[in-house]
Amino acid sequence: MRKRLFYGLLFTSPAILGFIIFTLGPMIASFVLSLTDYNVFREQTAFVGLDNYIKLFSGEDDLFYKSLGITFYFVILRVPAVIIISFVIALLLNMNVKGRAVFRTIIYLPSIVPAVASAMIWMWLLNPDLGLVNSFLSTLHLPTSNWLYAEGSVIPSVVLTTLWGIGGTVIIFLAGLSGIPKQYYESIDVDGGGWYSKLRHITIPMVTPTIFFNTIMTIIGSFQVFNEAYILTQGGPNNQSLFYVYYLWRTAFRDTQMGYASALAWVLFLIILFFTFIVFKSSKSWVYYEGGERT
Amino acid sequence: MSPMLRQRKSISVLLAILMMLIAILSGCTKPSSSTDSSNVSTPAKTASSEAPASGGTKSNEKITLRMTVWGAPEEVAAYKVAIAKFEKKFPNITVNLQHIPTDYDTKLTAMVAGNDVPDIAQMESASIAYPLAEQGKFYNLQDFLASDSEINTGRLVPNISYSLEPGNIIGLGPGPESFALFYNEDIFKDAGLTPPPSKASEAWTWDQFVDVAKKLTIDTKGRNANDPAFDPKSIKQYGVNFGTWWGSYSNFIYSNNGDFVSEDGKTFALNQPAAVEAIQKIADLINVHHVAPSPVQAKNIPATNVALQTKKVAMAIDGQWVSAGLAQSKFHYNVGALPVMKKPMTTVVCGMFSIFKSTKHPKEAWELMKALMDPDAAIDMITAGTWMPSYRDWYTDPALLAKWTEKLDSRPSGYKDAVVNVLLNSSHQTPTGYVKNFNKIMDVVNPALDKVWLGQQSAKDAMDSIAEKAQSQVQGRRDVKG
Repeated sequence: MRKRLFYGLLFTSPAILGFIIFTLGPMIASFVLSLTDYNVFREQTAFVGLDNYIKLFSGEDDLFYKSLGITFYFVILRVPAVIIISFVIALLLNMNVKGRAVFRTIIYLPSIVPAVASAMIWMWLLNPDLGLVNSFLSTLHLPTSNWLYAEGSVIPSVVLTTLWGIGGTVIIFLAGLSGIPKQYYESIDVDGGGWYSKLRHITIPMVTPTIFFNTIMTIIGSFQVFNEAYILTQGGPNNQSLFYVYYLWRTAFRDTQMGYASALAWVLFLIILFFTFIVFKSSKSWVYYEGGERT
Repeated sequence: MSPMLRQRKSISVLLAILMMLIAILSGCTKPSSSTDSSNVSTPAKTASSEAPASGGTKSNEKITLRMTVWGAPEEVAAYKVAIAKFEKKFPNITVNLQHIPTDYDTKLTAMVAGNDVPDIAQMESASIAYPLAEQGKFYNLQDFLASDSEINTGRLVPNISYSLEPGNIIGLGPGPESFALFYNEDIFKDAGLTPPPSKASEAWTWDQFVDVAKKLTIDTKGRNANDPAFDPKSIKQYGVNFGTWWGSYSNFIYSNNGDFVSEDGKTFALNQPAAVEAIQKIADLINVHHVAPSPVQAKNIPATNVALQTKKVAMAIDGQWVSAGLAQSKFHYNVGALPVMKKPMTTVVCGMFSIFKSTKHPKEAWELMKALMDPDAAIDMITAGTWMPSYRDWYTDPALLAKWTEKLDSRPSGYKDAVVNVLLNSSHQTPTGYVKNFNKIMDVVNPALDKVWLGQQSAKDAMDSIAEKAQSQVQGRRDVKG
């Protein structure tokens, strides 16, 4: 037995060591740093207790609340959009049509485009004067928009650009859909139900575990939005796309206030933890597992 | 071989792989000391007043200097020329040049956090140079300049040295960069208009400038901005284009006798009448006169050389570094003095080189610094148009001046008056060089200015609305004692 334990540890050691060295260690370090006034360029670092956290919540740093609000807005807009659209796409891709493999490839393709490249593409597409999107809209005599360059439309525009890369979510939905046994649908056929009944009473309940998983992953990913602000908008216009992680990065690497930035990071960690917990709790009432039991 | 033995063997192979992994991982950490020469040189006091021109420090110990730079490949090539010259002069010194083209500040910050800084580094006044200097990470170059036989503050052109406080120079720019008004000569000829004067004494007033810009702003139906039927929504050729960043608009704030902070450094000054007037006049070019693209429309305007060549814009307020691109685009361009609000003025922006306190070889680092500032070594970049020389005599001595301003595509006929003379006689330091806490102040100011450029708010209202918040970030001036 002891030998098996040894082998077990040996073979999992890359993952375990990786976790300890590159995740757990830095996390502990950042928590300790969040209790200090660590500034990379300063020789002395003093322990300041909860001062960083107090400064955050006291309202002294108004960009904290601003970036938090903007990030929430982004999450609220993006999570339902990602889940619904990728679910619909997965349903379509799950149908028995000619060239299904080609369509699946096309949907997944954007996910392997590097984030920077995809952001640059969107910058051109959404360019207010020369961009393809506005040109298309104006030939149809539809109203155009300033997209990324106006305060009101910048967050929806960023959501739009991120929707391009939902291929990964679609793939997971597809896996969930293909796991539904055929006989359930046959029984609906026997009972004389149509496509809506199949969707409502078989498909959706059967993929709730997948929806659950995708929702949590999308929430986490959306709270951590960074690339888009870094590449597309630099937080503008008028700080309207100052996402939380972008603000954190700016505090850490431009203003070199690592201690304060660590506190920002921990607050975000707790927020994500909280929402993940809520979704987990709520899952009892809407996630079904095979065998009919709710978890 | 028994199964037992084979197993043993595979375990030892696995262990060996694991050890290798660990070795590789630990190899990622920095070497204990990259320059582990046994003797620690004495610091700046004994600087190179008597550095022998013939070469070498007295001891022949092998020395490696590490240096970090950003920049385009051509610029790195120029540094390499300077370094090759330097290494020839000091055969015992090797320069390890690290080119960091992107995320320079982030990477340098990481080096500082890891206690693994270079000996000499290119620095940017708008980002981490001052935060580092405030923590005493750089040598005071004043000490070197004071005792050097070859260069001193008087030999440098104005506004290329950066000081933490009076008497403490933390960095020297390898050359200045100033702003001017570039234009397409053919557009003026075809419109029958007199191009911008090159001499600062004859420069256009703001109203004259607006007047010309209006005549040169043409919509798709060929009407100019003075025509009552002019359609500002479909402009084919803009009269003028400029950036809406502080470097660009600071020219006019200074020209209008305004500033970012008051003279004593105690008060936020962008909400004062002089600065507000300058900002408003610039914003009016976009929103009232419709002779310049808004920041959104400006995203469609190509780089200045292409924009002027393709007649997307008739004039462009830009840094002299665009000369390099203009020289390569074959068309008739020229340069004039910036329009004047109250007095001729240009803002000088430039990077700098700084010497880290942790270097073991300050004397040698200073020699390298001098090599980098030598216009002869950088002559290719200077004649190409990207750089300007750092030594004053290259501007005042006709023979030296001719070397980089005559018979070159990058230096049109107006250049000597509009750029060289304006730089010597009426230039202002970049605000990043003397306004303390500049970034934090601008974090407050920039969002408000976004609204001004877009015409949603007047300059006065916008600046007044954030004055209190900006004031709380004001921490004084670096060019004022105390």
